[in-house]
Amino acid sequence: MFGKGLLKGLKITIGRFFGKKSTVQYPEKRLPLPDRFYGKPDFHYDKCIACNLCVNACPNKVITLGTDTVEKKKVVTGYHFDQQYCLFCGLCEEACPKDAITFTDDFELTTYDRNTIGIEFVKQEQVDNKIKEIKQAAAEKAAAEKAAAETKVQTENTDKEQTTNKEGGA
Amino acid sequence: MENIFVNAAGGIRNLLESAGLPGLAVDLIVLTVIFVAILVFVLLNVLWLVYMERKVSAFIQCRIGPNRVGPMGLFQTIADTVKLISKEIIIPKNTNKKLFLLAPVMIFMPPMAVFAVTPFGKGMVALDLNIGVYYFVALASLSTVIIWTAGWTSNNKYSLLGSMRVVAQMVSYEVPLLLSIVGVVLLTGTLNLTGIITSQQSVWFIFLQPLAFLIYLIAAVAETNRTPFDLVEGESEIITGPFTEYSGMGFAFFFLAEYANVLLVSMLASILFLGGWLAPFGLTFIPSWIWLLLKVYLMIFILMWLRWTYPRIRIDQMMAFCWKVLVPLAIVNIFVTGIGKYLYESVRW
Ligand code: SF4
Ligand code: SF4
Repeated sequence: MFGKGLLKGLKITIGRFFGKKSTVQYPEKRLPLPDRFYGKPDFHYDKCIACNLCVNACPNKVITLGTDTVEKKKVVTGYHFDQQYCLFCGLCEEACPKDAITFTDDFELTTYDRNTIGIEFVKQEQVDNKIKEIKQAAAEKAAAEKAAAETKVQTENTDKEQTTNKEGGA
Repeated sequence: MENIFVNAAGGIRNLLESAGLPGLAVDLIVLTVIFVAILVFVLLNVLWLVYMERKVSAFIQCRIGPNRVGPMGLFQTIADTVKLISKEIIIPKNTNKKLFLLAPVMIFMPPMAVFAVTPFGKGMVALDLNIGVYYFVALASLSTVIIWTAGWTSNNKYSLLGSMRVVAQMVSYEVPLLLSIVGVVLLTGTLNLTGIITSQQSVWFIFLQPLAFLIYLIAAVAETNRTPFDLVEGESEIITGPFTEYSGMGFAFFFLAEYANVLLVSMLASILFLGGWLAPFGLTFIPSWIWLLLKVYLMIFILMWLRWTYPRIRIDQMMAFCWKVLVPLAIVNIFVTGIGKYLYESVRW
């Protein structure tokens, strides 16, 4: 019959009119994000071994790694993430052997100023602490080594004495 | 409640007369007050209609629609209008400046002039014209000229195409619109809108003239340039047709006038076919003007429902539908009505 389709269309739209709405009111409510979502990056200072692999993996030269060598150990002194050029490909995360760079699901990355978009992950006190730690560890190690060496010498001496005593006694 | 507006008008008249003003001055002042009241009524409705349209469209598309500005987004239209007012009015080169600016000013005139004769409730009519229907049809078609002016003076090919479509469409659909009204006029024997309402006391004309109502509805959608007949501003083809070059307040006027026209055709539909301000089922404790408003908004909802259901049709389909389907049907309707009325009268006597 002519007009059947028209009526059917009207029926569908009135159903939608009274039906459930699918809008999610964004700032108040959010849709769940998938597990593999790449949002704002996150850096774990203590895990990083300053191997430079992430820097080399990045196609956009987003990451700048600053390192220093303290007591023959490499220390991360800076990890600058220039977010405006990042394409959230995740290659850096893939390259990292220690999972030191990861991505959160925070996607609200807008800022009012272009200069604030880059992230400097490493704080100076973290570096200071790390250097202190390394130095302390090195100092402790040195002390321990020294002490060990001394005890070794002592034991050797006592051993000698004992042998002489034995020999004398015999 | 029922007579609140009539009494208010009477009160003003008494006040002025007791102040010793001459009769003519009293008439003039009272009429001015009434016309300003109608103007405010229409503008408020238009603002509300823009909001309602957005809400209805949103609901039909499973969205929520405006809900940020004010409670439930009620002030959205006001915010939009303020934005449009604050925008610069750009006049393109080589346009006929005077006419270009005159068109948006005049676009509100035909609907406003028609509202002067429409009965808003029992005894609530500014001018009880005895050729009300005729006056309505004559004035409503004036919009064509104004939109054509806008398109022609814009000096833009899209505007011109759009306004040519306006003329073709409006003039064509005026014919079935008129012919569908003729059926009602045949039954009542009067062109007075109040007379038409009172003769629906026993039965609404939608039940006596269902075909005429359908034709009227379709033609009304076309007259107001709404989807599926919104070829005038077919965005995908001619941007916004005659309104392409208008910015700021000029555009706002055309936009709001569209809703004034929607209000108008809905009002006429409820007056001609739905019994106007007559209360159905004897529910007379609700004032007549509220009944009229309810019916008008039912009609407006149907128009919006149609708009957000159907896609735009092609221009040749539209013209063919008008001349090959609607006009013959309307003529048949007139014949049947005339014969039916004749038979009914000869049987009764
Ligand atoms: S996600 Fe891709 S573009 Fe962004 S820093 Fe990592 S490797 Fe570079
Ligand atoms: S790849 Fe991982 S461990 Fe290596 S420098 Fe980058 S973040 Fe640090």
